[in-house]
Amino acid sequence: MSWVTIIWSMIASACLTLAVIHFLVWCQRRTVWADLLFTLTSAAVAAFAGCELWMMRAQTPEQFAVALRWLQVPTWVIVVSLVGFVRLHLRAGRLWLAWTIFSLRTLALLLNFLVGQNLHYREVTALRHVQFLGEPVSLGVGVSNPLMLVGQLSLLLLVIFAVDAAITVWRRGDRQQAVVTGGSIVFFSLTGMAQAILVLWRIVDWPLTESFFFLGIVVAMAYEKSRETLRAAQLADDLREGTEQMNLAAEAAKLGHWSRDLVRNEMWASESWRGLFGFTKSEQINFDGYLARLHPEDREGVKQTLAKAVDGGGSYSMEYRMVFPDGQVNWIASRGRVEFNGSGKAVRLRGVSSDITGRKQAESELVQKRNELAHLSRVTSVSELSGSLAHELNQPLGIILSNAQAAQELLQQNPPVVGEVSEILGDIVAADRRAAEIIQRLRSLLKRGEMSQHSLSLNELIDEVLRLVNADLIGRGVTVIRDLAPDLPPVIGDRIQLQQLTLNLILNSADSMAGNAPGTRRLYITTARHNSTVLTTVRDEGVGLPPDVESLFQPFYTTKPQGLGLGLGICRTIITAHQGRLWAEPHLERGAVFHFELPVATSPDHP
Amino acid sequence: MTTPNGIVYLLDDEPEMVKALTRLLRAKQFEVRGFTSCHEFLTTCQPQETACLVLDVAMPELDGLELQQRLTHRGILIPIIFLTGHGDIPMSVRAIKAGATDFLTKPVDAVALVKAVRTALQTAQARHEANVELTALVARLATLTPREREVMEQVIAGRLNKQIAAELGTGEQNIKLHRAHVMQKMAVESVADLVRAAERLGVSKPAIGNPAGQ
Repeated sequence: MSWVTIIWSMIASACLTLAVIHFLVWCQRRTVWADLLFTLTSAAVAAFAGCELWMMRAQTPEQFAVALRWLQVPTWVIVVSLVGFVRLHLRAGRLWLAWTIFSLRTLALLLNFLVGQNLHYREVTALRHVQFLGEPVSLGVGVSNPLMLVGQLSLLLLVIFAVDAAITVWRRGDRQQAVVTGGSIVFFSLTGMAQAILVLWRIVDWPLTESFFFLGIVVAMAYEKSRETLRAAQLADDLREGTEQMNLAAEAAKLGHWSRDLVRNEMWASESWRGLFGFTKSEQINFDGYLARLHPEDREGVKQTLAKAVDGGGSYSMEYRMVFPDGQVNWIASRGRVEFNGSGKAVRLRGVSSDITGRKQAESELVQKRNELAHLSRVTSVSELSGSLAHELNQPLGIILSNAQAAQELLQQNPPVVGEVSEILGDIVAADRRAAEIIQRLRSLLKRGEMSQHSLSLNELIDEVLRLVNADLIGRGVTVIRDLAPDLPPVIGDRIQLQQLTLNLILNSADSMAGNAPGTRRLYITTARHNSTVLTTVRDEGVGLPPDVESLFQPFYTTKPQGLGLGLGICRTIITAHQGRLWAEPHLERGAVFHFELPVATSPDHP
Repeated sequence: MTTPNGIVYLLDDEPEMVKALTRLLRAKQFEVRGFTSCHEFLTTCQPQETACLVLDVAMPELDGLELQQRLTHRGILIPIIFLTGHGDIPMSVRAIKAGATDFLTKPVDAVALVKAVRTALQTAQARHEANVELTALVARLATLTPREREVMEQVIAGRLNKQIAAELGTGEQNIKLHRAHVMQKMAVESVADLVRAAERLGVSKPAIGNPAGQ
């Protein structure tokens, strides 16, 4: 075995090995075209080495000429793939230069096959044999082809192209890449070019060994690619670290994350997510299995919310309940985002979920406490009114009793007077109804319950409250002056709570006038439409407001010896729950003015 | 049981209540006039009448005390029966200060009401009669001559004829004559009756000076 055969075969096999490896890599990641180009370069260098060996072993001038002609094919592939590699892998190099090189090299390839025996010789006339690495190798002798300058020009342009690209990469800051890839292309192209000129123009007696130089380029490129692999490994490490940190953070925040491939309908979820929904670590999960864990009442809502996000909303945020197999109900908050592909089709849904059962419980306890407090405050108000309410009830009872006794008397007379009795019975029935209404109003005010929403008239509501406090206000010598706007639009609200609000404001105003001289205890109630709200005003002529008006609405603020200081705070809570506003201001002349504003009901039957 | 004469005035802001009480009292044979406003009542009520008033304490326009003041101002002194929804102490005190003869809580029972009205009307009747008697006495007193008045003052002071004669510087016979005229004009049978009439009329006893001749 000769050294020449060994070395050239090794060059070829090394390049082929690299080519095969990178071809396999490219098969895994078909989007990385630089891998394919590197494969082509390596394979072409192997072919190039083969052609060189063929030339060195040529027995006749014709054999030499054919080998040199075929050598142009791998040369074309090498030049073109190098240009492509620089563009794709280094992301540098001028496009027009790249196309010029491509065109010139293609022209050279065509000329190689069309004019003369090959690009370098019009005709190889004879072979010379020289000693190379201790054995004789063949060199061609013949008429040079001036068109080989086309090929040399393309190589020169390749050098310029590579220099320009290397400068761009250098300036970008990636100096190692610029030196290794750009520099090696420039260096080995230049030396290869020089050798070709020296050899083919017979300045030196030396066979063509350009595969060495191309091998240099391939090695530099392989080094560059291996750096990429190292970088990928580094990135994978970073990613793992990042994932660890995210999992740690997610675990600390009790967040579970998940994603769903909408195309393949596959679902992935983190361990903490599985914990939230009661799935084991290895259990296969899918969307239907997830839906099955949800509270039946919330299932449809969740489906609709997700569908809306996928249909173009892009993201969602929701709260819903899930039920464990043992019946325990947990509250989950979930947010997510949809990933769309280039054509706007939803391909993936990603989200995080967390357990908010504790917060929900606290919220519902808060609501319950607030309701209890409101109820307590109503009971207090009503108990303050109890005396006058007794009077209010005694009135119809008195009417009933007197009428009934009058009827008894008339019937006992001789002869009995029956004419008026039926009229008396009518009056008794009316008075009885009135008593029942009062009791009904009281019961509803004392009822404890959750807030309900109805369309209601504030004018009616105010009249009802005034009927309830009528006797009390008379007892305190307070005169009520009503100015309720006709055609007042309805508002949406809870009747009992709004009655409580009005009752509290009226009683407060009456209290504030307790020190006034008789005849100067006037209470004004007005209602009016104000843009998209209904404005109610309760004005008194009492002692007025403290300097810090807002302190009135703080819990436990009171000026009354027996007061709890909850009334106005509860009023504020009620009005806030109704999306309204409650505020107080001093009246210019005397006393205080309380305003509350509620949005007009916007149901279709009340435009 | 006979029903006393006199008018029962009803005053309550609640028309239904006025109607019911009117029916009840009319069935008991009282003469009833119902009102729902103080003003209306004040323009109707007359000073000379024998009447009583059944009044709801909780009237929006006026309270009982104010009404009583207005009645007094017009010279109307009628017994008032207060009706109240809840018989609390401040309310009762105010009612009694306002001249209540009775105080009933609602719902008011017919028996209690009739009894109260009857008593009130009897009171009014008595006041009325007393008033008539006093008027007569005043008229009688006016018919006395100055000398007869002097003699009357001495008589009610408990002096003997002789002492009066000495005091006034005249004869005992004259005094006897004047004394008979006084008894006759004042329409009294005895000195005791005369003393009672003089007390009602507010006739004062003379200052007792030193009897002459002592």
